[in-house]
Amino acid sequence: MKKWAKNNIGFFFIIPWLIGFLVFKLYPFGSSLYYSFTDYNLFKGIKETGIMNYIEIFTKRQNREALMITFKYAFMTVPLKLVAALFIAYILNFKLKGVNLFRTVYYIPSILGGSVAISVLWRALFKDDGLIQQMIRMLGGNPPSFMTDPNWALFIICLLRVWQFGSTMVIFLAALKGVPEDLYEAAAIDGAKKWKQFFKITVPLITPVIFYNLITQMVQAFQEFNGPFIITNGGPRGKTTLMSILIYNNAFKAYDMGMASAMAWVLFVILMIFTAISFISQKYWVYYSDEG
Amino acid sequence: MKMRKILSLGLAAVMTLSLGSALTVQAEQADYEECTIKFAWWGGDSRHEATQKAVDAFMAKYPGINVEVNFGAWSDWEAARALEFQSGTAADVNQINLSWINEFDSDASVFLDLNEVADIIDLSQWEQVNLDMMKDSNGGQAGVPVAMTGRIFYWDKTTFDEAGIAVPTSLAELREAGKVFQEKLGDDYYPLALGEFDRMILMTFYLQAKYGKAIMADGAVQFTEEELQDGLNFIMSLEADHVIPSIVTIDGDAAASIDQNPKFISGKYAGILEWDSAAKKYIDALEEGRELVVGEEFTDFGDNGATGVFSKVSLGFAISTTSEHPKESAMLINYLLNDPEGAAIMGTERGIPESKAAYAVLDEAGSLDPVIAEAHGKVMAAAEYAEEPRFESNDLKGSEGTYKYVFGGLSYGEFDTAEGAAELLDGMNAVFE
Repeated sequence: MKKWAKNNIGFFFIIPWLIGFLVFKLYPFGSSLYYSFTDYNLFKGIKETGIMNYIEIFTKRQNREALMITFKYAFMTVPLKLVAALFIAYILNFKLKGVNLFRTVYYIPSILGGSVAISVLWRALFKDDGLIQQMIRMLGGNPPSFMTDPNWALFIICLLRVWQFGSTMVIFLAALKGVPEDLYEAAAIDGAKKWKQFFKITVPLITPVIFYNLITQMVQAFQEFNGPFIITNGGPRGKTTLMSILIYNNAFKAYDMGMASAMAWVLFVILMIFTAISFISQKYWVYYSDEG
Repeated sequence: MKMRKILSLGLAAVMTLSLGSALTVQAEQADYEECTIKFAWWGGDSRHEATQKAVDAFMAKYPGINVEVNFGAWSDWEAARALEFQSGTAADVNQINLSWINEFDSDASVFLDLNEVADIIDLSQWEQVNLDMMKDSNGGQAGVPVAMTGRIFYWDKTTFDEAGIAVPTSLAELREAGKVFQEKLGDDYYPLALGEFDRMILMTFYLQAKYGKAIMADGAVQFTEEELQDGLNFIMSLEADHVIPSIVTIDGDAAASIDQNPKFISGKYAGILEWDSAAKKYIDALEEGRELVVGEEFTDFGDNGATGVFSKVSLGFAISTTSEHPKESAMLINYLLNDPEGAAIMGTERGIPESKAAYAVLDEAGSLDPVIAEAHGKVMAAAEYAEEPRFESNDLKGSEGTYKYVFGGLSYGEFDTAEGAAELLDGMNAVFE
């Protein structure tokens, strides 16, 4: 008994985590899969089971639109954010005067994260007669209505996330610091210009970090909620209604937990597919130094 | 010196004991348990302030009953409470909407039948017809109505003065005001601002007045697609005549509600169609120096002088079946709605009270808010119909509901009124299925 306890003492230490995992992860995960095949309504219970929710997700106009908008949002936000973060990290990697101050300043938006206050501020900036419109008018321009033009509305929501590139930037910065100086020196001696050094040395050597940032940012983008919920509440006319908002509306406004669960599972599968594709594709473009 | 110390200590002990026994006696007289109950309501700042004061007074009157309060704005309030009702974690005492009885208490399991605590809540203070509106599917008394209400126009008189015209008393005058506002004050100024649900209500007034029938009755929609299209055309004509801003314009303002919209606060939107009980928050929201006055219900929607106005239970109080202290919860409700002290503090923050006792107290003290009293008097005098609770069903009124879809779609030019009418009728029929 003593020996058994000694050998398995580790399990006792992970019991709190295990309980948390079972109760707050595995159980909701399993139950939501079950509910996704039912018409479970919070106040009416389950009356029907089947794949009707999944059929409705792909046949109802509103759901298909939300799926498309989610893709649009993710495919705009992720590349823009990665490019912005890498660009700024590259600049901040130079030995400039006051570079630490700039690093801090660029990181501040990320500290604010997905906070409600920032979303409210964003709304105030971009509303009709808001600061951005006033500035454009002062410069003699004719600003669009950011909140009611569907394309602009989605863009300003993307912009909020792109603006918060600090964390991604810091990870890029760490990767850039890991690129050996002698490679640049050798390239410079061979006459390679800065941009060539960047694309031929820097980018290949930091591809594992680009890959990591791509995966994490993609997951975040597909799960985005706060920004569109607070800034536009899915409007105008549902044109910024991402899947996450539709899940929320179905679950907590229509109390249709069956549909909300099915949507969550569709989103999960979509993310899994994209992640799998990314992992499969990495052998073509990600360079790991230990692979030789 | 020693003797004086002993005497004072003794005296203090006697006083403490007698205070304790007095409290016990009081508690025994009132025959209640020392406990903590929760009370949840939504509203604006002035309602919160008055209700908190009333709750404090209740706790002072009944020592030992501690009331924890949970209050906030309407936005997303319903969703949060719905989850509590479903999970059995709701507050003991809840401010509820009439439609909640249908939506959340369809099997009469969420709200306590108040007949069970009728010895504490004096139900005789309400007209039976009003109590009946809050019955559940089993015939139980799911709640008590705090007030009756209906919609009426409120005008920012200051803006109308700036435009050099009187506040409108008829549809014809309102249409004329649209022109004057645009010419004299500019494109940003509108005599009336209506969100999607407000549009539905004004359209209902128009249709009910013109066709002489309720929009929903006997478990069905009473209007044909063509009649609904007539109503939608009427609403869109107001937009075309610069009487109301488009939904696109209101969306562009990016305000959570009309009372938080800077254009309303500054008088650019010079009118609203609101519940008589909600006037206070709009008055409070206006810039200093601006005057909001109660308008008239229009009688020129059709040729028959009808108003088409409907009234409803504005809101009620209910006790959750999960409450461990239904008796003390009932005491709180009775205090807030029937007790002279409680009713006086609550005032007209939830409209003109339906409880006869509360009304008498406020009337005698001259503390019926004059604006609310005027609005309420006009609404009740003009009301021709009672609202069918499903008119405000979440599927219709909610943020993803039919009203928002139809009126927003029309305003954004996504479809015409014929298609809008078909969508509206489909959506309204669906709530009866």
